[in-house]
Amino acid sequence: MFSVDVLAGTKLASGDMFFFILSFVILMLLVKHFAWGPVTKMMQDRADKVANDIDAAETARQEAEKLAGERREALQSSRQEASTIVTDAKAVGNKQRDAIVSDAQASAAALKQSATAEIEQERQDALAGVQNDVADLSVQIAAKIIQKELKIEDQKALIDSYIEGLGASHEA
Amino acid sequence: MDDKAPLVQFLGLTFNVTNLISITVVMLITFFLIFWLSRKPAIKPSGKQNFLEWIIDFTNNIVGSSLPNSTGQGLRLLAFVLFMVIFVGNQIGLIFQVKVGDFTYLKSPTADPIVTMTLALVMVVLAHFLGVGKLGFPKYFKNAYLSPYAWMFPLNVIESITSFLTLGLRLFGNIMAGEVLLNLLGSIAFPHGTLASISWLGFIPALAGEVIWQGFSVFIGSVQAYVFVTLAMVYVSEKTIVEEL
Repeated sequence: MFSVDVLAGTKLASGDMFFFILSFVILMLLVKHFAWGPVTKMMQDRADKVANDIDAAETARQEAEKLAGERREALQSSRQEASTIVTDAKAVGNKQRDAIVSDAQASAAALKQSATAEIEQERQDALAGVQNDVADLSVQIAAKIIQKELKIEDQKALIDSYIEGLGASHEA
Repeated sequence: MDDKAPLVQFLGLTFNVTNLISITVVMLITFFLIFWLSRKPAIKPSGKQNFLEWIIDFTNNIVGSSLPNSTGQGLRLLAFVLFMVIFVGNQIGLIFQVKVGDFTYLKSPTADPIVTMTLALVMVVLAHFLGVGKLGFPKYFKNAYLSPYAWMFPLNVIESITSFLTLGLRLFGNIMAGEVLLNLLGSIAFPHGTLASISWLGFIPALAGEVIWQGFSVFIGSVQAYVFVTLAMVYVSEKTIVEEL
């Protein structure tokens, strides 16, 4: 069955074609099973993973941007709130200050007025007291003067002078 | 080539023992190389997996540039294995050439026309087969032979034959020429093909020439593997995609 033909090139080695095709197909199947399948699957997995990661990163970025926006808004609003609080407090403070000042002015004026009135009253009282005292004193003084001076000679002299006056005026 | 190869008859077919050995060795090396590179694939690739994925991306791009459709998807594995086999096949003859007596037992299988023509035949038949499958026979026939004009039918027939011939012969010629030159350089150092016949005068220039030529042949082998896969995909796309005029 086997016969070695050493005259190379005299015959077409047609068996080589079948052998080559057969071995090539076997190699292809083996490579597909042992290498091509796992590696391309891994490459596909990686491509998917990268795509997913990119999507996830995009989502995360949007989330972060949204959060940052919210933070910025919150900060803005709290700043506004703070300035409102300060303004309100200032207004309240001013109002209170004005109220206190005007209260103080009013009470000062009232105090002043009542003090003036009191002083006037006391003066009147003092004046009245003084008048009474003066009257008493003058009465007493008068009484004392009258008691001391009311002597008989003096009275006689006085009556005499008065009567002389009367006569003179009659003669006239 | 003056290399003699032992031939074997089996089941009425002629087998070239050199090719059998070379093809087997190339297939084994290719398989174990890919097998080793593809161990423990991970989402986060490292070292050898990066290298393998780089090759896969490379061949996928070759397919995608001419067949960016479902047909291309199905041919990615074929393109990858084809590229690896041709690449390893091209390089193996540069590294090992086993010659016993008058017979060469191991060389680049792609330096033998029967192997490259088989590859080209497979690719051309595949292209026509996919064309019929995708377009249906009438449309396929019109697309492959009667376009752009019906009177170009003879030219299209000739073109089908020449594209098959050039696909196979380009690869064969490049790799065979590389091996012939390597053998010539080797024969400067060993004029009678035996270790005893070493010629020290020729050894140094022969060694320098071999180193330079091997480096260049590695480059040629890579380019030819790329060119073969690219052209095969272009032929498939010619037969499966109807060009709108």
